[in-house]
Amino acid sequence: MASNSDNSSVGMPQLDFSTFPNQIFWLVVFCVVLFAIVKFFIIPRMEDIFANRRKIIDGNIAKAEEIRLRVSEIEKHIEEELQKAKSQCDEIMNASGNNIKEQMALALEDSKIATTQLISEAEGRLKELRDGSEAAIEKISEELASVIISKISRGK
Amino acid sequence: MEKQSAFNIYPMDQFIIDPILTGDSLEWYSFTNQALWMLISLVSISFVFIYGSRKHQLVPGRLQSIAELLYFFIRDMIIDIAGQEGLRYFPYIFTLFILILFGNVLGLLPYSFTYTSHIAVTGFLALSVFVAVTIIGFVKNGLGFLSLFWISSAPLALRPILLIIEVISYFVRPVSHSIRLAGNMMAGHAVIKVFAGFAGALGLGAIAPIFAITAVYGLEMLVVVIQAYVFTILTCVYLNDALHPGH
Repeated sequence: MASNSDNSSVGMPQLDFSTFPNQIFWLVVFCVVLFAIVKFFIIPRMEDIFANRRKIIDGNIAKAEEIRLRVSEIEKHIEEELQKAKSQCDEIMNASGNNIKEQMALALEDSKIATTQLISEAEGRLKELRDGSEAAIEKISEELASVIISKISRGK
Repeated sequence: MEKQSAFNIYPMDQFIIDPILTGDSLEWYSFTNQALWMLISLVSISFVFIYGSRKHQLVPGRLQSIAELLYFFIRDMIIDIAGQEGLRYFPYIFTLFILILFGNVLGLLPYSFTYTSHIAVTGFLALSVFVAVTIIGFVKNGLGFLSLFWISSAPLALRPILLIIEVISYFVRPVSHSIRLAGNMMAGHAVIKVFAGFAGALGLGAIAPIFAITAVYGLEMLVVVIQAYVFTILTCVYLNDALHPGH
C-alpha cells in the first residue's frame, strides 16, 4: 500500500485533478449503459410484473363482485319463492276453511231435515194414538151406558 | 507491512485511482479500479433486477422483492414529490439512484473501491442534475421559471433580498448535492481504515479497535443507504422546482 506514496499518500486522491477526465469518461460510459439497462430491461419487466398483478387482482375483484351479485340474486329468488309459498299456503288455508264451513252448513241442513221429519212422524203417530183412544172411549162409554141401562132396568 | 513503523496508517490510500490494465500511466481511457467497481455494480444491478425477477413471479421471491421494493420506492417518491408529470423522468432518477446505492453498498466490502467517494463522480452527477433541471425549468415554464427566485408570498420589501439568497442557494445546489454524498462516503471509509490501522498495530489485543470498526461499519450500512436516498430525494425536489416553480 505504501508503494503508492509517489502518487499521493498525503492529501486527498479525490482532489487529484489529473484523474478527473478518466473518472468522468468511465462514469459517462457506465451511466449510459446503466440507463439503457434500466430503460430497456428493468422498467418494462417491472411494469409487466406490476400490470400482471394488477390484472389478476382486478380480475379477482370483478369475480368477487359477480359472485356477490349472483348471491343477492339468489337471495331475491329465495325471497320471492317464500312469498309465493306463503300466499299459496294462505290460499289453501282459506279454501279449506271455506270447504269446512260449507260441509258444516250442509250437515246442519241435513240434520235439520232429519229432525223435522222425525218430529212430523212422531206427531202423526201421536195423532193416530189420540184418534185410537177417542174411538176406544166412545166404545167403552157405549158399553158402559148399555150396562148401566140394563142394571137400572133390572133393578125395577 | 515492512515499513518504517507499524503505526503507519494511510486512510486515504483506499481512494487512489489505479489503472489496473495499462500499467502505471493513467490516460483518460485507462481501465481503473474505479471503472472495475462501476462494472461490478452494473453486473450486480443486472443480477438483482434482471436475473432476480426473470420469472415474473406474481408473488415475488427474495431477489424480486428487493428489485420491486427499490423500484416502487423511487417511483412513489417521484409521484409524491414532483407529481405525476415527474414520472416522465423516472428512468433517469432511477438510474441515478441505483448507481449511487450500489456504489455505496459495494464500497463497504473489504478491498473494494467506492466510486461515490470521489468528488469527480458525485460532482458530475450533481452537475448533470443541475443542468438538466435548469433546462427542464426553462423549457416547461419559459421565463416563468425565474419566479422560483421571486418569492411572491413574501412582503415586497423583502423580495430583492430573498432574490439574492435564492439565486445563491440555487447555484450552490450542485456543490452541496455532490459534496454531501462524497464527503459521507469518504469520511466513513477513512474512519474504518483508521481503526483498522489501530487494530493492525495492536495485533492480538485489538479488541477495542475491532469493536469500533464493527460499530462504525454498522453506522456506515445506514449512512450508505440514507445518502443514496438523500441524493435521489433532493434530485426529485429540484425536479419539482423545475416543474412547478411557483411553489
